Amino acid sequence: MGKTLFEKIWDSHIVAGKEQGPSLIYVDRHLVHEVTSPQAFDGLRLNNRKVRRPDLTIATMDHNVPTNDRSLPILDQTSAIQIETLKKNCRDFGIKLFDINSPNQGIVHVIGPQLGITLPGTTIVCGDSHTSTHGAFGALAFGIGTSEVEHVLASQTIWLEKPKSFEIKVMGKRKNPHAVTAKDIILSIIKNIGTAGGTGTVVEYSGEGVKDLSMEQRMTICNMSIEGGARAGLIAPDEKTFDYLRNRKYTPKNYESLVDYWKKNLKTDPDAKFDKTFTLSIDNIAPQVSWGTNPGMTCDVSDSIPTPQDFSKGDKNQEKAAEKALEYMDLKSGTPITEITIDRVFIGSCTNARLDDLIEASKVINGQKVSENVRAMVVPGSQMVKKQAEEMGIDKIFTKANFEWRESGCSMCLGMNPDILSPGERCASTSNRNFEGRQGTGGRTHLVSPVMAAAAAIEGHFVDVRKINLN
Amino acid sequence: MKGKVIKYAKDNIDTDVIIPGQYLKIHDYKELASHAMEGLDPDFHSKVNEGDFILSGKNFGCGSSREHAPIALSNSGIKAVLALSFARIFYRNSVDGAFLLPIEIDEKTYQNISEGDELEIDIKSNTIQNITQNKTYPMKPFSEIIRKIIESGGLFNYDLD
Repeated sequence: MGKTLFEKIWDSHIVAGKEQGPSLIYVDRHLVHEVTSPQAFDGLRLNNRKVRRPDLTIATMDHNVPTNDRSLPILDQTSAIQIETLKKNCRDFGIKLFDINSPNQGIVHVIGPQLGITLPGTTIVCGDSHTSTHGAFGALAFGIGTSEVEHVLASQTIWLEKPKSFEIKVMGKRKNPHAVTAKDIILSIIKNIGTAGGTGTVVEYSGEGVKDLSMEQRMTICNMSIEGGARAGLIAPDEKTFDYLRNRKYTPKNYESLVDYWKKNLKTDPDAKFDKTFTLSIDNIAPQVSWGTNPGMTCDVSDSIPTPQDFSKGDKNQEKAAEKALEYMDLKSGTPITEITIDRVFIGSCTNARLDDLIEASKVINGQKVSENVRAMVVPGSQMVKKQAEEMGIDKIFTKANFEWRESGCSMCLGMNPDILSPGERCASTSNRNFEGRQGTGGRTHLVSPVMAAAAAIEGHFVDVRKINLN
Repeated sequence: MKGKVIKYAKDNIDTDVIIPGQYLKIHDYKELASHAMEGLDPDFHSKVNEGDFILSGKNFGCGSSREHAPIALSNSGIKAVLALSFARIFYRNSVDGAFLLPIEIDEKTYQNISEGDELEIDIKSNTIQNITQNKTYPMKPFSEIIRKIIESGGLFNYDLD
C-alpha cells in the first residue's frame, strides 16, 4: 500500500524506535523565541550540555516585543528581561538570532518561510503551537513544549508517537476570492470538524480549493490546524511552493536538485489510505465571523448568532458552553452578525499578517476612514513584510484612513505585550484564538479575515465584504 | 495517589485560561501558580490544596503550547487532571517535566464523580477509586512512551530500552 506525504516525511526522519512504539524523530529546523525557551537553556546549563546543532537552530523575539517605535526602551521589565535572556542564550550557545532591530525580525512563523529556512520535506519544531504554519510548504511542522525544546536543543531529536493521518479535501472554487479568503476556508473547516476534530492527527489539505491558493494563503490554512485540534497540517508542495522559496536569503545552494527530488517524492501515493477524511465544498461559502469563545463557534457573516440549542445539536456540554460564551461576549442569539458593533480592529498575527493579507485588506479602504468609534491597528508579520508594504505604499493607504501602522510582532494576538484589549472591548481580529481573555482580560474577540476586519474598521460593525467591490 | 476533586464540567479548557498570556514572563513557579486557572476561576488559588485533582471534559489544555500551564497547575498542588480527552501538546508537557498525570476517563466516570469527592488513583492497575462514593472506575492506560516517561520521572530520564 502506498504512503501519505506525512508518512513519507515521518519515515525518512526516524532515528530510532520500534515498528509500533514511539519513534525518535530527527529535527531539521528548530525555531526559538523568547517565551518558551529560557527554562530550556537553563536546563542545558544545569546539565552542562551544548546545543547539538546550532546551525539548524534559529531564534527571534516576537511574543513580548512592543510594536511601537523601536528606538524607545521596553518599559515592561519582565519583557525586557526575557528579551535580554534570549540574546544572552543565543550568544552563549552560538545560535543565529534575528534581534529586535534586525531587518529580518518578525513573527517566527512569518520569517521562517520568508528567509527560506522552511523547506519542503523537512521536520520543523518550535515552542509555539502555530508552528503548523510551515506545513504549507510540505514540511512536517508542529509545536512543542519547553521540556521538548530543551530535548531538541540537546539532541536535535524528539520522541513521538506516530500521529494518525487525516485528509481534508477542499473542493470547488470560491465565487469571489477577494471576499471569501483562506481564513474563511479554515474557519469553515473548524466549524465543521470541531475544535477537537483533528486531535492526534496530522492533516493533509488537498483538492483544487487548496491548489488554487497562494503560498501565503496556504499558510493561513495550515496555521489554524491546531485550532481544529490537529498536531500539524500540511499541503503537498507544487510549483508555487518551489517558486516562493527560490532565491531567499537562506535558500540552499543546491536548490534546483532539491526541487527535482521534492517533485518526485513529496506527494501522497494514489493508493495511500488516510485514517480519517473530511470534505469541504467551497463553491458557496461565506465570509466567517466567530461569535463565541473558541474558533468552532463561528458562523456566516450573513447569519444571525445561533441559539445555544441550535449550535449544540443536542450536546449538553456544548449548549452550556455556548450559553457561557454568549454571556462572556455580551451577545444575544438572533442578533444579525452585521449588527455587531466593534471597538477595536487588529490586522496582524502569524495567521494573517503577510503581504497578501495587507494588500487585500487595503483594497477595502478606497479613500474612506476608520469609523470614529473604532481604534484600528495594522501590525505587519515581519520587518520584511513591513518594508515590502511600505515600498508599495500600502502603509500610506492605512495611515491615511487612520489605521495605526506598527512594527512587527505577535502584538494583540495574545495579550502579553502592550497591545491588549481593555475589559469589555470588542475586537475584529485576524488572529487565531478567541478564547476568554486571550487578547487581554475581559476582551472580546471575533475572528475574521483581513478584508472583513478592514471593512469592520471602516463601518464600525461587521459587513458582508461580498457586497464591496474588491477587484 | 490520593486527593480531592475540583470539577470543571465543561469542554475545551484552553491554556490561555489555565495561565493567561500576561503571566508567561514569570519564571518563579510559585508565583506562576498563584495565577493558575485565573482566566476561568478566580477562586481556584484559594480553594486548591496540595494533592488535589482537576476533573474536566473534552480537549483539556487546547491552544497555546505553553508548558507554563501544567507547571502552574502542578505548583498549585494539582497532581493529576482527569478529563474525557486532552489536547496533545498539553498532554505531553504534563509528563515531560513530571508536572502532573493526564488521565483519560470515560463519560460515565466523568458524570459520576462530583466536586469534592476523594479519589485514589492507581496507575499500576489503571483504576480510580472513589473513596467518598465507594466506587471504582477504569482509566485509559497510558501508551508505552507516556508510561515510560512517567516511570522515569520525566523526559530527560527516559531512555529507549
